[in-house]
Amino acid sequence: MTWKTVNISMLVVCLFVTGWNSLGSTSQDAQKTDQQLSPADKQAINEFETRVKNYIKLRTEVRDKLPKLSKDSTAEQVETYRKSFEEALRTARAGSKRGDIFNTAGSNYIRRTLKTELDRKDKAELRKIVFEAENKDIPLRVNYPYPEKKELTEMPATLLLTLPQLPKEVKYRFVGRNMLLVDRDNNLIIDYMTDALP
Amino acid sequence: MKRILSLLVVLMLSSSAGLSALYSQTANTKTPVNAPARPSPRLTLPLKDGSLRFAAIGDTGTGTDSQRELANVMVRYRSAFPFEFVLLMGDNLYGTEAAQDFQKKFSDVYKSLLDNQVKFYATLGNHDLPIQINYEPFNMNGKEYYRIKKGNVAFYSLNSNYMDQKQVKWLESELSKDTSDWKVAFCHHPPYSSGSKHGSDKQLREILEPLFVKYGVNVVLTGHDHFYERIKPQKGIYYFVTGAGGKLREGNIKTSSPLTEKGFDTDLSFMLFEVVGNQMYFQVISRTGETVDSGVIANNTKSRSARTEPKIKVHTANAVSHRITWASKIKMAA
Repeated sequence: MTWKTVNISMLVVCLFVTGWNSLGSTSQDAQKTDQQLSPADKQAINEFETRVKNYIKLRTEVRDKLPKLSKDSTAEQVETYRKSFEEALRTARAGSKRGDIFNTAGSNYIRRTLKTELDRKDKAELRKIVFEAENKDIPLRVNYPYPEKKELTEMPATLLLTLPQLPKEVKYRFVGRNMLLVDRDNNLIIDYMTDALP
Repeated sequence: MKRILSLLVVLMLSSSAGLSALYSQTANTKTPVNAPARPSPRLTLPLKDGSLRFAAIGDTGTGTDSQRELANVMVRYRSAFPFEFVLLMGDNLYGTEAAQDFQKKFSDVYKSLLDNQVKFYATLGNHDLPIQINYEPFNMNGKEYYRIKKGNVAFYSLNSNYMDQKQVKWLESELSKDTSDWKVAFCHHPPYSSGSKHGSDKQLREILEPLFVKYGVNVVLTGHDHFYERIKPQKGIYYFVTGAGGKLREGNIKTSSPLTEKGFDTDLSFMLFEVVGNQMYFQVISRTGETVDSGVIANNTKSRSARTEPKIKVHTANAVSHRITWASKIKMAA
């Protein structure tokens, strides 16, 4: 076996391994990130997740005092529930402010993660998805509803998979370069961070 | 060579004429005597006994006259082709979502269908508040994404606004144990589209396509771009954009797009489907009641690994039929 043959074989093996790893790499990214987190990042995410859990706890307490919304509801029931939930939660969270959930270290971690993803992926494509939504003039105010008439930006799937996972009741949402946390059922802006996207 | 080509054209046209005649005859015999005075629906669908029949429509929620006109055409077609349910591709309600909006933009528009027990199965679009999942007529059962089974077809409604880890894991788990003959996914954002305004959602495609290929999803229905488009099969999967149920983005299909097999962007439209064993027939109808596309998709095998040469027989609006065969083997992604 000559060196040339060995080199070609190694090249083939490398190409195979690279190709194999690229399959399904997206779904593994988040897991890899978990394993590769620095202690500081782990702490930042834990703090962020604890704050989200606290929000869910308060939210559950508020929701449990409302008449239950059935999965077979009428339009009137859906509207009544959404509005009464919104009002009750706003009252319960009176005085909440920006940064209550997006802690500084957690926000920095999210910014870095998004930047890394954008650098790895087709930046133009990602920005197109985020910025094509007609929602840039939305006032960013904690504890106010996201305007009902405004479209909801699609969260680019490949970005979403790399961010700290949220319970189903809370969603990330972009408004321009800013990122919001929005309640799924009452549309309240729970918190937001500016300049999330580079 | 010229003679061979001429012979082929003659064979294709005669085959088309035969099929059209068969369909016309079938449609005529099935059309009720007391049909509306307006032009009778012209079906290209076979109307076989025991077949699964459904419709698909997207981006409906405007409450405009044109949405109503299209809904009326759906009702007329249902008199000839009694479909059981309708898949909604999202953007079910544009603008405000007060109780009267649900009425004006949905339940009033499709009253005749709803009164006749036609079920709607919705998915969420980028204009829909997620709380719609609890609205009974959307049949989402309180879920942002869900699976329903009808006959030998499994339908997966996906929330393409928010494709997070939980949803991806759920989808993979469901698909991996799904033994249905047909698997149809529907969501709002199109993994493939030739729209100038939006176009292909490559981020979504990157996540979903490997799963669709691996687990043998046959057909993907989407909206978001406000027109109808049949995409050239991608990795053996048939993608349709049917996002002109209430809004039209006229002339928005890129004419130079290599993806388009058939496009229609000059009026509103909806789709009808009929599944007969291993064949899925489709017909696309405009607001004026004209058929703008139709054809049949063959599901040759139950598993993707054995699926090598899918075939589709297509009838275009001017009734010229042709057969497309993919000679190339479909490469497995996993």
